[in-house]
Amino acid sequence: MDLIFYPVNDFGPLMKGLVIGGMGIFHVFLAQFAIGGGLLMCYFQWLASTGREPAARRLVDSFFRFLVLISFVVGALTGVGMWFTTIQISPRTIGVMVEEFHWIWAIEWTFFWLEVVAGYTFYRCALRLGDRDRMRLLLLYTLAAWASLFWINGILSWQLTPGRWVESRNVWSGFFNPSFWPSLLYRTASCMAIAGLVGCAVINAMPNLSSATRTALIHRTARFLLPMAAMPALGIWYLAVVPPDSRAWVLGGSVAMTMFMMLAVGASLLIGLYALIAILWQRLTINGATATLLAALAFVASAGGEFVREGIRKPYTIRNVLLSNSIPPERIAELRRTGAASRDPYPLRDATPLPTDQLRLGALTFRLQCSICHTLDGVNGLVPLTASWAAEQKRVNIAHLQHLKTFMPPFAGSARELEALVQFIGWQAEGAPAAWPESENRAAEERIRRYLDEAGVLPAVGTIRTGER
Amino acid sequence: MIDTLFPFGFPPATAQYLALYVITLVVHVVFMNYVLAGSAYLAMDAMRPAHCRAADQIGTAAALLRDWMPFALSAAITAGVAPLLFVQILYQERFYTANLLLFHRWMSILPVLIVGFYALYLLKRPSAPRRNWVRVAIGLAPFAAIAFTAASWTENHLLSQQPQQWPSFYESGRMVYRSPEMLPRLLVWSVGSVPTACLLLAWQMRREARRGRPAGLRSLSHVAAAAIPLTLLCALAYWPALSPAASRVLRTRFAFPWMSLALAGLLVQFFGWMRVARVSDAGKAGGRLLLVSAGLAMTLLGATCVRECIRLSDMEIQPLLARHAHAAGVGGFAVFLGFAVLNILLMAWAVAIVVRRDDSSAAAPAPSPTPSR
Repeated sequence: MDLIFYPVNDFGPLMKGLVIGGMGIFHVFLAQFAIGGGLLMCYFQWLASTGREPAARRLVDSFFRFLVLISFVVGALTGVGMWFTTIQISPRTIGVMVEEFHWIWAIEWTFFWLEVVAGYTFYRCALRLGDRDRMRLLLLYTLAAWASLFWINGILSWQLTPGRWVESRNVWSGFFNPSFWPSLLYRTASCMAIAGLVGCAVINAMPNLSSATRTALIHRTARFLLPMAAMPALGIWYLAVVPPDSRAWVLGGSVAMTMFMMLAVGASLLIGLYALIAILWQRLTINGATATLLAALAFVASAGGEFVREGIRKPYTIRNVLLSNSIPPERIAELRRTGAASRDPYPLRDATPLPTDQLRLGALTFRLQCSICHTLDGVNGLVPLTASWAAEQKRVNIAHLQHLKTFMPPFAGSARELEALVQFIGWQAEGAPAAWPESENRAAEERIRRYLDEAGVLPAVGTIRTGER
Repeated sequence: MIDTLFPFGFPPATAQYLALYVITLVVHVVFMNYVLAGSAYLAMDAMRPAHCRAADQIGTAAALLRDWMPFALSAAITAGVAPLLFVQILYQERFYTANLLLFHRWMSILPVLIVGFYALYLLKRPSAPRRNWVRVAIGLAPFAAIAFTAASWTENHLLSQQPQQWPSFYESGRMVYRSPEMLPRLLVWSVGSVPTACLLLAWQMRREARRGRPAGLRSLSHVAAAAIPLTLLCALAYWPALSPAASRVLRTRFAFPWMSLALAGLLVQFFGWMRVARVSDAGKAGGRLLLVSAGLAMTLLGATCVRECIRLSDMEIQPLLARHAHAAGVGGFAVFLGFAVLNILLMAWAVAIVVRRDDSSAAAPAPSPTPSR
């Protein structure tokens, strides 16, 4: 795989993971709402056409308008936004994904078209259509929306569990990877729960409904929360098939991952219990404020889940293929010899305050290898993280990164670059003074070379072996 | 490679992706043109005093645009996904680098489009806002958003063509790329969008006329016919801004036939519109509109191929061929084709459900072109 150098952007105090994570959560929530919304509309259309719930037809018309305004505008554009944001954060990762799965994306694209056409025909013409035609259009819309989840789920789950694809390079081995089914079913249950909660809020906002009708509609809608009962089993299935190291981080190995996981579990549990006890068992109703609050909790659950999904891939963006900083693992040995930052054609944006060439090289090394997950002194800042380390300790720890924290990638540069990085962090920690002496390169670099040799070039986790590709 | 007609001189994998890129881009351009020229018309309409916006034939066009524009923007965005996919296969480094260099400036097209999109839904409302400035703002917002997006894409494309400028552009921290090609190129595509929008509107108005609603094609024909020589003038003005390599390639067997096809298409459209202008009953203009449609297809296909020839004239594609071959080797193409056919049939069925219903109720009293939502 060629190592193409791309310009790296600085997101200020925001960690890049937060940027893509924030965008991803927002988009996933909207997309899942659109999918679950389709299923909910089909259910209500069926209730209306069979005479079980005469007011259901009104809900379909009100809800679908809401669905189109949210999903077809913000949902569609944040989908494109996800692509653009991924390019901003990790162009090499999206490049590999597109190369390997572009026909899957192209298939998904045909379903986008079906979703738009079926959705708009229903939006424009539903009021003058009979029940059978309404149901047909809704089924087409829902099929297309759920199919888009089906196809993208294969690509996203492949990033963590590429499975037999690593050996076979067969697109279908990668697509139907070990976490494909648990992930798909879990997301489908999430879609239904989100749609159920938003549906409750919409029912409360509908004018001219009698109290009895409103309550009846809410109880029907709340049935969409029932698949949440399967979520614990699906979650356990998912955890069982992810790599053992990823599982260990969620189960206490990484405080952050465990907390996000508990956040997702806790929020889902609260929603599930409320739905089960209050709405379905006690037959209580739910007002607009409570429904909105529960939908917000569902957003929190989605956020926690998405952060866990993104986080447990570390130290890879694509397991065994690309490390978190988008460097292919099999290139590390070469980059240790030739250097990486030294080959970067893009100069620093503001090199003036950096008093020496060594610091400039350190800044380039930081930009290329660290800035994907770290800022200097903002979120996950390197300066505070290493504040208590002496210079020699920095050399040892950075050289042994993958052993220090197994979710960190191995250092992928020369000893000279590592020493420059150590000096750059030290200089930043001292408040970026105007003068900074260059370190004794030869002696320090000799020791660093030894540390790097001791650490080896392999990531601490994964199945990659040098020279395999 | 430039001795053979584009894209046939390339290895099969590259030729396949170039062909798919061009074909899907043409589909995107059709909707994009409708949205760009249509929103410009709606912006002008919003600035006219209320009493001038009566429901005459121009008013019908405005009403149709207001009604269909949200769908058209949705379709333009959806249609844009496929060329976005294939451009990443073909020119990965160039496309990604231009995205990265323009950074926030590039990403801002998303919130801007969201605002423009919602403004289109507001325009669709049957009741106009009471305050005049609100009405004008809502009328201008979609055009501003779409024009900004068009300018951003042009900027992105032009920057992607200048790899020697990337390091200095990055170092400067700028997010706006200025190029002498920018304005003439934008003008070619913008003015060129008018005949497409007119044609799609003409087909819609023909349908309205067949349902017994007031719809005439004369004004539309004149606008479209005037835009065709203007587009040609803009293209001639663009020529001096092209690089020497691009100018040269347009005279080779690689690009010249496509350029000729585009020009022939313009001629066919022009004479087609002249004939449409003479039709008194829009409902009977189907044959003439088919002629214009054929001309438009020739122009769009030719122009899109010429666009690609210009891009390829200034770059070394040899190093990318191996990547294209690798991409073509991954599985899934046959499954894509299968689902493409299936979903086209399902879309046709969805439309048929509605059209059948509409036709059966055609004899009913005609409602306003803007649905009462």
